[in-house]
Amino acid sequence: MLSFKKDKKPSTAKFKLSYIAMLIVLFLLAISALPNLYPNKSWLHISAAPHSETQSLPSTKTLVTFLNSQGLEVEQGVDKQSTINVLLNEPTKSAQAQAAIKAQYPNTQVKIVEHATSPTWLQDFGLSPIKLGLDLNGGVLFVLDVDLDKAVDEQLVSAYQQAKSIIIKQKAHGVKAQQTQHGFEINALPNATDKLTPVIEELQSRFANLAVVTSNNGSVKTAKFSYSEQGRSAFDKEVMGQTLTTLRSRIEELGITEAVTQQQGKHRIRIELPGVQDPTEAKRIIGATASLGFYQLKEIGGQTFNMQSGGTIKLDPVPIFTGDHINNANIGRDDWGKPLVQLSLDGQGGDAMSAFSKANIGKPMATVYSEYSQNAKGEVVKKSEVINVANIAQHLSSRFSITNMKSQQAAADLALLLRAGSLTAPVTIVHEQTIGPSLGSENISNGLAALMLGMGITLAFMALWYRRLGLIANVALILNLTSLVGLMSLLPGVVLTLPGIAGLVLTIGMAVDTNVIIFERIKEERRQGRAPYQAIQEGYKQAANTIFDANITTMITALILYGIGYGPVKGFAITLALGLLTSVFTGVYVSKILSQTLYLKMGKKAGVKAHA
Amino acid sequence: MLNTFLKGEKGTRLRFMGMLLSAILVLLSVFTLTQKGLNFGLDFTGGYLTEFTTSQSVELKELQSFIAKNHNGEFELTAQGNSHFQLREAPSASTTANSLDWQSAVTQNDDINAQVLSSAYIGSQVGDELFDQGCLAMFTAMIAVMLYLAVRFEWRLAVGSVVALVHDLILVLGLFSLLQIEFNLTVLASLLAIIGYSLNDSIIVGDRVRELLRVQSNNVLSPATIINNAIKSTLTRTLITSGTTLATVASVWLLAGAPLQGFAIALFTGIVVGTFSSICIAATLPELMGLSAKNYEIKVDAHTQTLLDMP
Repeated sequence: MLSFKKDKKPSTAKFKLSYIAMLIVLFLLAISALPNLYPNKSWLHISAAPHSETQSLPSTKTLVTFLNSQGLEVEQGVDKQSTINVLLNEPTKSAQAQAAIKAQYPNTQVKIVEHATSPTWLQDFGLSPIKLGLDLNGGVLFVLDVDLDKAVDEQLVSAYQQAKSIIIKQKAHGVKAQQTQHGFEINALPNATDKLTPVIEELQSRFANLAVVTSNNGSVKTAKFSYSEQGRSAFDKEVMGQTLTTLRSRIEELGITEAVTQQQGKHRIRIELPGVQDPTEAKRIIGATASLGFYQLKEIGGQTFNMQSGGTIKLDPVPIFTGDHINNANIGRDDWGKPLVQLSLDGQGGDAMSAFSKANIGKPMATVYSEYSQNAKGEVVKKSEVINVANIAQHLSSRFSITNMKSQQAAADLALLLRAGSLTAPVTIVHEQTIGPSLGSENISNGLAALMLGMGITLAFMALWYRRLGLIANVALILNLTSLVGLMSLLPGVVLTLPGIAGLVLTIGMAVDTNVIIFERIKEERRQGRAPYQAIQEGYKQAANTIFDANITTMITALILYGIGYGPVKGFAITLALGLLTSVFTGVYVSKILSQTLYLKMGKKAGVKAHA
Repeated sequence: MLNTFLKGEKGTRLRFMGMLLSAILVLLSVFTLTQKGLNFGLDFTGGYLTEFTTSQSVELKELQSFIAKNHNGEFELTAQGNSHFQLREAPSASTTANSLDWQSAVTQNDDINAQVLSSAYIGSQVGDELFDQGCLAMFTAMIAVMLYLAVRFEWRLAVGSVVALVHDLILVLGLFSLLQIEFNLTVLASLLAIIGYSLNDSIIVGDRVRELLRVQSNNVLSPATIINNAIKSTLTRTLITSGTTLATVASVWLLAGAPLQGFAIALFTGIVVGTFSSICIAATLPELMGLSAKNYEIKVDAHTQTLLDMP
């Protein structure tokens, strides 16, 4: 009791300070929640395709008339210098309009872009509404399986090929590379053991994850190369990371801005494409595994490749450079009107090309196009084809073209894939699902209706059961919802899904729990004969322990869920975890201050000192 | 004095009868689970995806009810345009026959006159590996919570809470198995919510038991009476919170439509059995395992005291 009296003075100062802090936090969260009142609208951005020869953008008027004639009524068409922005009456039909425009004007590029409709000062703060998940926004979901085993095999074969060429390059006579069951080995005859080390070193600098075991087999020294468990997992991680990056840039090339691409499990990738309604194009581009390599011809030795035109050809197995060094790729046509792909290389690729072409003017160079496909047995096989062999006419540098493309579409796809990067591991689409935009908006309105009803019942009950304290609980509850929405809009990476809305509803239902525990405690204290103000103090103090324990345990489960979850489950876990934070904040902290203020004032009004 | 003792005895008898009932329900649930199993949704099983176009635009709802007449299994229809649709259905042998039924029905109907573009098997959204990982995580979560409670409370109370939690999950799964309601990703999410909810209830009772046990004057009372008192003093809170949560879940059930139906059913059941088990199991089991005020007398040394007094 004594200590209570002692810190009475500092406690009022602390009280004031925490009062201000609370107000600031609440205000900031409320502001962050504000943009949700202005939902984003999806606009169509139409511009000339960047790499087409003809600038064939129709005028805004023609475009609007065209769309109207297709039954896609235009609400607004804005002419920006190089793009036309169109807003439809029913923005959910944007995907349909996108397809229609593409069919009518093939040389245009149409993107669906979300425009914020909130006041500019909100946008200036960088505040935006909560991101909506696929089930609320409509769109396509893909789950891809990445064939890591295949990638490892490829990598080992490539390392073996390079080992052979390193041996030749270093003129290491008496050293021989040989393929084995789980990789390959390099054998050195007794008189050449000293030449083995530089070969191994060179190879290891190129393939860092490869493990070497050297042994003496009689007089022959052998170095066995294979993937250790550790090296394998490092390699897998690298491949998955590379695949994710490539897929992301491919999706960007498709003009989808709000896509969610994430790893799911060890070897799967989940791609959510909101707003996309026709998955065919996305599927063709995302699943494509095409890659390009440039090779030197070999008369003796070398590896046999099939020619697209028929027949076979022998090439040096190590490419001069690969598609990875391509900076940009555009489509064009050659003098006979056949489609071609113009390439520009990065520094490394440019140097390789420059050095090679300078030394080999007049000699042929082969372009090899490789693609993974599934054979009849369902196995993934790599198919490599020489699409063209051309004589090097001059000293080439970082810009040149690949001719002899099958069709315009093939050229366009190849250019896109080269721009976005190729996949090192074959991927297969194992799951595909389309959610219609109408279903999405229906989900939102149903979810909101459920939220309103649930909240209404709770508010009414609390007001009737606890009267004055109930009002405080209700204010806390409304502040809780505002703070939660604000927090969800503020944090990047939070996506609201349908289960997320359910989580929101549940949070509201459970948020009153905090207040109920406290109020019941206060009632108990009152029954034991404490004065109102003291009962409130005591009630909050006693209940704090219980509330702390209850919320910590739920938080543990929410965090573990967030860690392993994905898609809808992750959305739910986020809502649950953030809901716990805000409900403790508003239920304990805010409502404590509210009830103290309320009773302090009332106490003064009644002419009684509250802490008497 | 006699009066309170009698009351206490009555409460104890009720609790033990409730526990017996729980045990019977758990046995029944395990029985249906082993006999009937769960009706896993397409998210888990994968299935067939058929794409088709219609000659003229058809309302999704009309098409939905038309196909429902010709389809015995569960399916999911989505529109990709006015005349372009996708249908997902389960892969089992019996439904392939069904799928032919609906396909011939939509292609032969003159108003719809559909043309099937493609039909292919698609994999599950949830890989086996991920499912295993999920189960492991659930297990980890339970262990983590149990450890936390054992430190904060007492191991007997911790075991009680976790047994109550497992009981709730098994009963909800049992109901889903008995009624063969589709078990999809959202239902999984609701199971996870039940974990949180069930613990919440158990902890609040357990917290009060601990508090009463620590009061010196209560040493003369039997643990059964103390537990009864703890339940009595938290009963209003338990009923109000369960009530408001049930009301919100019911509004989801009523208004949020088909996608959240399973979610709402699972949560509704979870909350009802969770409230029940927090009284009959979480508070009763520790008594059976010999919880008494002595457990706290010994434990409350200087170090534990600071731990216990943490806000």
